[in-house]
Amino acid sequence: MKGGFRQSMAWLHTWSGLLVGWVLFAVFLTGTVSYFRAEISFWMRPELHAARVAPDAAENVLRRMHALAPSSSSWIINLPSERDPLARVFWRDPSAGGNRFRRAILDPATGEDLPARETLGGDFFYTFHYQFHHMPVLWGRWIISVCAMFMLVAILSGIVTHRRIFADFFTFRPRKGQRSWLDGHAVTAVLALPYHLMITYTGIVTLMLMTMPWGVQVAFKGDNQAFSATVFGLERPSPRSGQAAPLAPVMPMLDAASRHWGGAQPGRITVNNPGDVTSTVQVFRVDDDRLSVNRQVVSFNGVTGAMVSASGGNRPAAETRGVMVGLHRGVFGGGAMRALFFLSGLMGTVMVATGIILWAVKQRQKLGARAGAGTRLVEVLNVAAIGGLPIAMTSYLWANRLLPVEMAQRSAWEVHVFFIAWGIAAMHPLLRTHRRAWVEQLGLGAALLLLLPALNAVTTHSHLGITLPAGQWALAGLDLLALGFGAALAFAAWHVGQPVAEKRHARHPARQVNPVPAE
Amino acid sequence: MLPLGFVSAFAGFAALCLAMERHHGDALGTRRIPARRALVLRVAGWLLLALSLPLCASGWGWGMGVVAWCGTLSAAALPLVLLLSYAPRLITWLALALPPLAGLSLALRTP
Repeated sequence: MKGGFRQSMAWLHTWSGLLVGWVLFAVFLTGTVSYFRAEISFWMRPELHAARVAPDAAENVLRRMHALAPSSSSWIINLPSERDPLARVFWRDPSAGGNRFRRAILDPATGEDLPARETLGGDFFYTFHYQFHHMPVLWGRWIISVCAMFMLVAILSGIVTHRRIFADFFTFRPRKGQRSWLDGHAVTAVLALPYHLMITYTGIVTLMLMTMPWGVQVAFKGDNQAFSATVFGLERPSPRSGQAAPLAPVMPMLDAASRHWGGAQPGRITVNNPGDVTSTVQVFRVDDDRLSVNRQVVSFNGVTGAMVSASGGNRPAAETRGVMVGLHRGVFGGGAMRALFFLSGLMGTVMVATGIILWAVKQRQKLGARAGAGTRLVEVLNVAAIGGLPIAMTSYLWANRLLPVEMAQRSAWEVHVFFIAWGIAAMHPLLRTHRRAWVEQLGLGAALLLLLPALNAVTTHSHLGITLPAGQWALAGLDLLALGFGAALAFAAWHVGQPVAEKRHARHPARQVNPVPAE
Repeated sequence: MLPLGFVSAFAGFAALCLAMERHHGDALGTRRIPARRALVLRVAGWLLLALSLPLCASGWGWGMGVVAWCGTLSAAALPLVLLLSYAPRLITWLALALPPLAGLSLALRTP
């Protein structure tokens, strides 16, 4: 390592990025598709595609809840919306396993159960991007938190390293070997730089209560429930009295809450001790009409229907965190905003991918056949991550359509298919030459994606031929994006498969590129 | 309005990149830029970028508008970079034609 500030930063950028690059790639890609988590979940449950939003959904669903869970201590009802036209309900049941909640999906028009295939849907990608799977939740979150901190270091040192931010702002020179990888890395980094900084920093903030719990521990003396009640407006459940009393009509409560918010819509209802004289109803504001995710809640007496309290006026610290988490999740502002976040997320994914590929390309060019096991390891991991993850993710969608609907442990098997496909993709580059491995994995990913709409047409009644004329964009969008990504991967496979370009550059190994993250 | 904000950002970035010798050469065939034209392009470019902020805010409000503006800038610069690599001659035409088209479509939509 030579002296000088910029060289030290280049060194820091190279190694902080490379060390965690593969994890970051997986986090970025699964996180980016999670902007369309609701749409993916909906696509993966074709039995529900006929459901439509109903204005009196809350009444219908509550009526059904009295039959489903009369003695539960609390009900949680997510009201249907344009994005997700179904009522998703949960209720506490001590006899249920796991987190002691049972769940159901109800038809907003009738309140009846809608039987749908068992699947984790888009939630799998979403939870994977901050805690992985098949490992203790806290471990996954810690690993990803640490990787995100490395990412922040890599971004900041990268800005220092990149000398020609303005001169090369628009510069991408294709078909020039190492130079093109560097250009691609720099352009995707610079053009979406505000996004990269924002998403990495706010990502760390979403997990800050885990990584830095000391403030909360001191202030609330370890009482996490008191903390949640204060900061997030979550009520402590009070015991049932045993004295029965009917629940007041819910529609007037929803109207009152909406008036309290100046016309904003309710998104969720929780009912504590339903059917008891102690019952309370909390109405939560939808969270996609403002930046902050902090809950705004209006509470009602469940028997009289009178408004009891309203929370949501937050102190600056809580509001700052709320805005940061909101920015990270990008649920506000509607479809166009989500599309912008998605595009920036893709640029982040490409930035990470080109960064780790650049390291391997440069090593190979510098050392040629003398490159050792380290370079080979990076190359194998690059194919396994960048080539393999799209294969695994698409296999998960294929499994959703192909596994029998009545199969036991069905949703677990969808996830198994994801990991089996990824495992095979991780072994495969060990057995092939580097170029063959790239071509085959990119090609397979392209084929799986391009054929997904066809598979969908064969296995469901909501394929492009139906969803496009009906204007069901949430469903058609996934098929169309699959075609787009499939075409991109096919182009990449074809491009890597061209032997000519590579040879031309191999003849000029000494050609110097500009901002060299030197060692 | 997203389209207007986007179009304004695209035209702004296009003007700024045409004010740079290398890209001027790619898009217009000559690297030599008359001094006045360079100045006009630079001023127009920054103005159009600045203009896209209130255009984004008019559709989303200021809080979300600023977020949308950042995303819009990224989304507008990306196609420009790709055009520079693969079809540089199109840039001038698109930058000149898109703003009036976007304005016209908006005028036709609002009664």
